[in-house]
Amino acid sequence: MNIDVRKRKMIPYLMILPALALILLFKIYPIARTLLESFWVGGSVTLKTWATLLHDATFWNAFWITIKLNLVMIPVQVIVSFCLALLVNANLKGIGGFRTIYFLPFTISLTVATIVWSLMFNTNNGILNSLLAFVGIPPQRFLVDKNQALWCIVVIASWKGCGYWMMFFLAGLKNIDVSIYESARIDGAGFLTTVSRITIPLIKRVSLFVLVANTTANVLLFVPMQMVTQGGPQGSTNVLMYEAYKSAFKYADRARSSAIVTVLLMIIVVVCIFQFKLLQGKQDGGAEA
Amino acid sequence: MKKYLSLVLALMLVLGATAIASADTTQPTKIVWLTQGVGDNAWEGLTKPILAKYKEETGVEVVGEFHSFDDLFDVIEVKIASGSSDYDVISVDVPMVAAYATRGYIAPMDKYFTADEKAQFIDSAVAAGSWQGTFYAPPMNTSTQCLWYNKALLDQAGVTVPDSTPEKRLTWEDVVDMSNKVLDKVNPDRNNGIFGLDWQQASRVYQMNALPNSMGGQNIGEDGFTVDGVINNDAWVNALTWYQGLVKSGVASQGITADEMGNYFASGKLVFMVGGTWTASSVEALGMKDYGFCAMPAFKGFEDKVGTPTGSWHFGINAASKNQDAAAAFIKYMTLGEGSDMWLQANGDVPSRKDKLDAIIADPNAAGYLKIGAYEAANTAVPRALTPGFSEYSTIMNAMWEDVRNGADVKSSLDSAVQQIDTAMAKYKK
Repeated sequence: MNIDVRKRKMIPYLMILPALALILLFKIYPIARTLLESFWVGGSVTLKTWATLLHDATFWNAFWITIKLNLVMIPVQVIVSFCLALLVNANLKGIGGFRTIYFLPFTISLTVATIVWSLMFNTNNGILNSLLAFVGIPPQRFLVDKNQALWCIVVIASWKGCGYWMMFFLAGLKNIDVSIYESARIDGAGFLTTVSRITIPLIKRVSLFVLVANTTANVLLFVPMQMVTQGGPQGSTNVLMYEAYKSAFKYADRARSSAIVTVLLMIIVVVCIFQFKLLQGKQDGGAEA
Repeated sequence: MKKYLSLVLALMLVLGATAIASADTTQPTKIVWLTQGVGDNAWEGLTKPILAKYKEETGVEVVGEFHSFDDLFDVIEVKIASGSSDYDVISVDVPMVAAYATRGYIAPMDKYFTADEKAQFIDSAVAAGSWQGTFYAPPMNTSTQCLWYNKALLDQAGVTVPDSTPEKRLTWEDVVDMSNKVLDKVNPDRNNGIFGLDWQQASRVYQMNALPNSMGGQNIGEDGFTVDGVINNDAWVNALTWYQGLVKSGVASQGITADEMGNYFASGKLVFMVGGTWTASSVEALGMKDYGFCAMPAFKGFEDKVGTPTGSWHFGINAASKNQDAAAAFIKYMTLGEGSDMWLQANGDVPSRKDKLDAIIADPNAAGYLKIGAYEAANTAVPRALTPGFSEYSTIMNAMWEDVRNGADVKSSLDSAVQQIDTAMAKYKK
């Protein structure tokens, strides 16, 4: 009998063993290996890579660009996605068509999207400057201007990503019982009150997922930088991920690349802990209210 | 029964030993060449008949793995750096020879090329293919540049390009003057996308560094590491300021990449373009017939300091290859043998073999741009920075050129490049 109980207790552990093994192999091991590589130069353990990195102006510029980009891009994408989800949540005829249209950019590869947008942003013969000229605005330099390039990349990444995040918010909205909205309407709640007091508190879990996943995706973004700006003009789009790529594949400096990737990992962990705390706290508060 | 079993075992032993012995002495039937130039109009298509001929003559199949120019460097850093023996022959962009030799990616080739064979190459190509006295990479060909121009646009403005030979060159100031005359006619508001003068490899050190070189500037210090005081001195500041002035005045472009510039010229939107000798075949393939060429101009007052871009692709043997002898045999075929003749014929590049260069100079029917190229290769060619940190150097300097093109302050851009290169080179100064 005791053996049966013990066997039964083992079953859950056995069930999660394959998943655990895969996580260890494909997540934990690469992370540990990356961390170790950052201390490994020429067959010996050293702190030199980290010491050089922390005194490297290029690294700190890339660090700041990464923070600046994400401080703007993450809120923009989350807010735009939420607003789009509210729009396509309406029960109207043909609304499915709009949902598809908004989701469509996500189905295009980021590489293709970047090429298309870089053609539109082309300072010499891009369509955006033609449209600006049509309304009397002088031509802009977009991706070759150090003050505009980073924000052009925000546009590219948001155009591509918002439809995707919108779908998660939409799924959350669909789970809210319509009777809650009806009672709020009877109580005289307006649109903004309904959104802020009912909708947002009730999709906290979805919001948390979107925030964490969006942060991870955006902090690691580098395709537009690699394909179009190469970190320029004047380092204005040189994010940490691109710097890590250059270190590994252009400079053959795996230790520096691993150190930068470790920094990126730490940024993501810190931001996600902050987001968890923030939303967890508010969720508790919301529940009490 | 035991007797039969012993016999079978002995037979198997003999067969196994024979197999091992034959594996040691027999040439492999297949080797793999990691290279660049995807597509039928690029190396992939051009080398097809050469590889077929090699197989016919030797029985060895050379499988080319073709990548885009940029991707090749990444593949080398991933596959070759990991010690993979999947590849036997690697195409090596010549300024990377020192880096690949230092990192142990490519094997020395002194034992495969005798002194007489090395002497068949021009000296600059042998020097560029060597590092610290060891010969690592024989040249496929070399490269030189001409100034190409669009006759149709010049005709519209009634401008005729005077004769310009290596002995009596145009000046850059003359070229800008002619560009402005044409633009005043065909693009008076400087807003229809037609430009006066540009570089086929805009924002790449390969072509752009020739500007400061032509004012007496060097690419890197003699030690292969020093850049402070070398790339931020007066020659560099003056050359880059002159170039930035072209962009600001709308003579040269912004935002057109090196990958696009050749097509831009062929589509009739560029009056003058600095381009390699391969430009003739590439623009003709795109339907452009009305073009001309002349020798690279000089800066006024620096007529005796003209520096022209050079260097091209060399071959290396993957240090981890298990077929190094077969790889060397193929490389010799492609650099000194029939494969080299076929390649030079197909690609139209400037040879790095002395006999072929002499033949071009002596041949009254040889294309004029090849004659100019042959002269420049022997007299004005300035190799790119010879340093194990060329990848770092070129990445930082390419970005610097692009920044200056986009309006960044010249001196601070150069100083910033110096600081970045110094940091990146630190790991080589052990």
